[in-house]
Amino acid sequence: MSEGIRFVFRGEVREIDKIDPTLSVLRWLREVEGASGTKEGCAEGDCGACTVVLGELVDGSMQYRAVNACIQFMPTLHGKQLITVEDLASPDGALHPVQKAMVETSGSQCGFCTPGFVMSMFAMKVSEGRPSRDRINDVLAGNLCRCTGYGPIIEASEKMYDAGPETAFLEEEKRVVALLEGLSSDAMVETADKGRRYFAPARVDDLARVYTDNPDAVIVAGATDVGLWVTKMHKDLGTVIYLGRVKELKEMRVASGYLEIGAGVSYTDAWDEIKKHYPDFGELIRRIGSTQVRNAGTIGGNVANGSPIGDTPPALIAAGARLVLRKGEERREIDLESFFIDYGKQDRGIGEFVEMVKLPLPKAGSKFRSYKISKRFDQDISAACGAFMADIEKGQVKDIRICFGGMAGTPARAKHTEAALIGKTWDEETVKTAMAEMVKDYNPLTDMRASEAYRAKVARNLLYKFFVETSQVGEKVNTRVVGDRELAHV
Amino acid sequence: MNDTGIGASVRRKEDFRFLTGQGTYTDDINRPGQTYGYILRSPVAHAKINGIDLAEAKAAPGVVAIFTGDDMQVGSIPCGWGVNNKDGSPMNEPPHPALAQGKVRHVGDQVAIVIAESYAEARAAAELIDVDYEELPAVADLATALDQSTLVHDEAPGNLCYDWEIGEEAQVNAIFESAHHVTSMDIVNNRLVPNAMEPRAAIGEYDSATGEYTLYTTSQNPHVIRLLMGAFVLQIPEHKLRVVAPDVGGGFGSKIFHYAEEAIVTWAAQKVRRPIKWRAERSESFLSDAHGRDHVTKAELALDQDGKFIGLRCYTKANMGAYLSTFSTCVPTYLHATLLAGVYTTPAIYCNVKAVFTNTVPVDAYRGAGRPEATYLLERLVDRAARETGMSQSEIRRKNFIPEDAFPYQTPVALQYDSGNYTATLDRAEELADVAGFQARRSEAASRGKLRGLGYSTYVEACGIAPSAVVGSLGARAGLFESANIRVHPTGSVTVYTGSHSHGQGHETTFAQLVSDSLGIPIENVDISHGDTNKVAFGMGTYGSRSLAVGGEAIMKALDKVITKSKKIAAHVLEADSADIEFKDGKFTVAGTDREMAFGDVALTAYVPHNFPHDELEPGLEEQAFYDPMNFTYPAGCHICEVEIDPDTGVVEVVAMTAMDDVGRVINPMIVEGQIHGGLAQGIGQALMEGARYDDDGQLLTGSYMDYCMPRADDLPDFKVGTTTTLCTHNSLGVKGCGEVGAIGSPPAVINAVVDALWDQGVRDIAMPATPNAVWNALNGAKTAMAAE
Repeated sequence: MSEGIRFVFRGEVREIDKIDPTLSVLRWLREVEGASGTKEGCAEGDCGACTVVLGELVDGSMQYRAVNACIQFMPTLHGKQLITVEDLASPDGALHPVQKAMVETSGSQCGFCTPGFVMSMFAMKVSEGRPSRDRINDVLAGNLCRCTGYGPIIEASEKMYDAGPETAFLEEEKRVVALLEGLSSDAMVETADKGRRYFAPARVDDLARVYTDNPDAVIVAGATDVGLWVTKMHKDLGTVIYLGRVKELKEMRVASGYLEIGAGVSYTDAWDEIKKHYPDFGELIRRIGSTQVRNAGTIGGNVANGSPIGDTPPALIAAGARLVLRKGEERREIDLESFFIDYGKQDRGIGEFVEMVKLPLPKAGSKFRSYKISKRFDQDISAACGAFMADIEKGQVKDIRICFGGMAGTPARAKHTEAALIGKTWDEETVKTAMAEMVKDYNPLTDMRASEAYRAKVARNLLYKFFVETSQVGEKVNTRVVGDRELAHV
Repeated sequence: MNDTGIGASVRRKEDFRFLTGQGTYTDDINRPGQTYGYILRSPVAHAKINGIDLAEAKAAPGVVAIFTGDDMQVGSIPCGWGVNNKDGSPMNEPPHPALAQGKVRHVGDQVAIVIAESYAEARAAAELIDVDYEELPAVADLATALDQSTLVHDEAPGNLCYDWEIGEEAQVNAIFESAHHVTSMDIVNNRLVPNAMEPRAAIGEYDSATGEYTLYTTSQNPHVIRLLMGAFVLQIPEHKLRVVAPDVGGGFGSKIFHYAEEAIVTWAAQKVRRPIKWRAERSESFLSDAHGRDHVTKAELALDQDGKFIGLRCYTKANMGAYLSTFSTCVPTYLHATLLAGVYTTPAIYCNVKAVFTNTVPVDAYRGAGRPEATYLLERLVDRAARETGMSQSEIRRKNFIPEDAFPYQTPVALQYDSGNYTATLDRAEELADVAGFQARRSEAASRGKLRGLGYSTYVEACGIAPSAVVGSLGARAGLFESANIRVHPTGSVTVYTGSHSHGQGHETTFAQLVSDSLGIPIENVDISHGDTNKVAFGMGTYGSRSLAVGGEAIMKALDKVITKSKKIAAHVLEADSADIEFKDGKFTVAGTDREMAFGDVALTAYVPHNFPHDELEPGLEEQAFYDPMNFTYPAGCHICEVEIDPDTGVVEVVAMTAMDDVGRVINPMIVEGQIHGGLAQGIGQALMEGARYDDDGQLLTGSYMDYCMPRADDLPDFKVGTTTTLCTHNSLGVKGCGEVGAIGSPPAVINAVVDALWDQGVRDIAMPATPNAVWNALNGAKTAMAAE
């Protein structure tokens, strides 16, 4: 066990023995460290003014990810490098290529959102090659600017690549790698302050043990929702157990027909692998939150949280995902679908945690689609989110699974609708009949995101969309208005 | 032109600190011994407060003090502009307490301040305060507020603030009687939340040794805050009150006004004898920053048989919210109705404005303030009139433009435009937007199943908000001039103290260009100082696109004085008559000789006056000027928007946005372009995405970034912008202002384009924001209506 946390900051290892487990990185920077370059615009992960970059050693090389410091808890920095806007210019005052490009294009006006944009752009610059305009939009989707209209910032995101590779930065990186290697350990990290305790095990067995010992603890993975419990709902979380260090939970592998996704795997890390098997699920992940949110948030957390409007459960359930739960030394595996019992109630015992989500690999010839309906493309909560998985053989529906989020107190299958389809001819008449059945499956709410009537109608129509996209393969069906339109034809 | 002078796209001097995280915003400032304030706000829209139990909260850890309205008995927060009713009587001006006095009137109204050792402790303690609210019905809807029996203020019967008019109603009615054609529309200008990225913040501090108060605040005009808060609310004389507005992260109008929190922390700092920092959480910004727009108008345009506009009449209801914010009352009147001539020769105009109280957040100036509302209703009417009378959008405008040779042009609604060439601007805009190619693009879109539309907007605005004499006669309770002080240091570098305030506009660069250009010195040798009442002599601040036209002009006047004094010094040293001294490229030369003296040598001599004739020449080189302009300035332009609509989904894509603006002389083209881009983004946001919504109980439904739709990077098109130039005739620079043109001109261009795309489908109008849902409903509603016919 290691007391306190250690991370690399301003080029050196910073050690903090006692720290409030739910103190945000943003508050620490601004209020403890007096580093006020990182700004607070909303404290709920929407505006990106607080964007910082976390450097982490992954399989021996550095990986840089932009996250929202406002909802990132301090102790989660352990073993990582924290990079803020103050770190970019060289000590002699020479601006970093990101900053230079922003000057040249006039990408800053009032300057308040600027540090956040600079850090989002920096993470892209050090991690990937020259981006497409689409890619830039994805990267900037989590940053709001009210002054510039974004054009100059987009231009700077292209122009910054003219400066070539990050030679100075990569030189310094070697030193940081050595520091981080020195921090690497399998020991559990533990700290406490203000009556709150924090545990960050590195091995899953330690996690099982510490959770059994502290069954009242709140389990935190990416904190993209739990962070708001603190900043917006003013909850005192008491004891926190962090999953982000647990090696086994960060693993992803294909085994016996399943893609096994550890509960600590971020959306960003899962994205490519899921996209390979389920292109449409990949597109769905692109639309979850923003880059900063996907870098922190996990699929395991999205499931375990139990929200009826989480975006991944409908797709996972439609695909037939299984869930591995663990308590102490005991494991059990259930259909993900049965995990969601009722609003706010899941099939998870005291001291039991989600260890792994198992996503079955698609059978040859099966058709999968997932659709997110929200008011904007980026950074929005679904009004309804639907997923469909069908085996169509010789024009007959052999099997179909339909699951919706936002239509009930939990993510829920449309069993009446499915029954009206299975064994029938996959044609318009069958689909229209099945659409009418959906009224038996869902009784959605009217709230600020959508009315009951809208939700009911859009859900029915998404089935029709699924039918159109899957019954006219190879033809140019015009069912997609946003995102990667080619996915309609897969 | 030198490469850092007028007309050069000089890179911004302020960028280094912003890009490296070294900007100093109010929340970045921490004072020794600082405490933290949390404002407890009303969770209900309208209620009597029967009691507040503080016992538990006061005992909470870290709490230093808690104050409520009972403790804070101070002056009312003043409104800066009195508007008279049409019968000449003054408007209804109910009190606006800093902390609620027995009643709350909107969700977010301030009830108490909790002061503690940390922000977390203050917030936690506030949750322990038990307020006994006796809920009252809420007046949440502008359109029906005047008819409701519930009163927001007992002092304002019928929830009416004022019933104001401009023009002769009977005369205009008579014109309508005989008109060849009348176009009528009901027009709503949607309520917006300004959403500067920096939330408001304030730090109050009191020095018991000197009796001096200091307020650090997120303000666009620190001197105005000093005056309003010092003289009216807290009765602190100016010499004992310092107001500092450091780097400010965007304002768009919302940081002009004097807010309660500023007075609360300043007042309370004296009580607890420690500095108090307060900073809005984003939800507080939504619930306490003044909102913008929110008008409903019945508007009619009369045309003769030749398609000439002969009369305009408008009946507007304008939402004031629960209290009168600083400029709220002048927005729908003097900044809206006076602009209703637009760029047209309409000879007779009548406008009636009823300002209405509701149980919502106060409404005040937001980027454009009144002028976007005027432009929107006018340009929607003109667009409709063209369709009804069979004229093209270009033709109807050209026919009615104030001609180039008619300037100065006196409108029937008080303003006199000094210069403009509207036809030239329209020509250039049509060229840049490739209007000629539109029909081909429309057909091509149709082949893809898309509806393509083209929308025009030709606007004029009044900015450079001043002059004192005019605004004074219209009810402004302050003068509207600007000050500048030029301090030339002994080695020839210069500090400019300006009463303008930069919160994104790049003044530190543009103003330095004026000095570099005028004195012929490198721009690095010029610093611009602003935002501190202890440094700057006086200032009216930045809003209404006034900084360059008023503040910049004050700098020019002060520079003239510096040059005049410098000539005297040079004449003395060069033993010539100062009338013979010429100043060019930073050198003072005796005309017709090679005797010269560099600016730097003159500066040094001014501070080393070994042999000055003291009866004729004072040592030192520092000059001050106050500038009060003759008139407003009148930027104008043409915005052309092209949209493509997917009829299956109602999604509107702005495929091209062209803005051709005449902002007078351009000092820094890069900065001007940036200002226009930003305005366009907010205008497109208003037209397609943004809208503040209240439910019937007065709860704000759009109170976070999740529910209030802010444009993001992929929501906006690439803009095509250009400028044409007619010079302002009454300032030396010939400048007009560029900060608001984008937000004023673009919303009607976008909506006119949407309507153009949908017109043949039977859609006649669509309200902002034209969301996919609204467009889809309009299309399908129109289809149903057409089928029924």
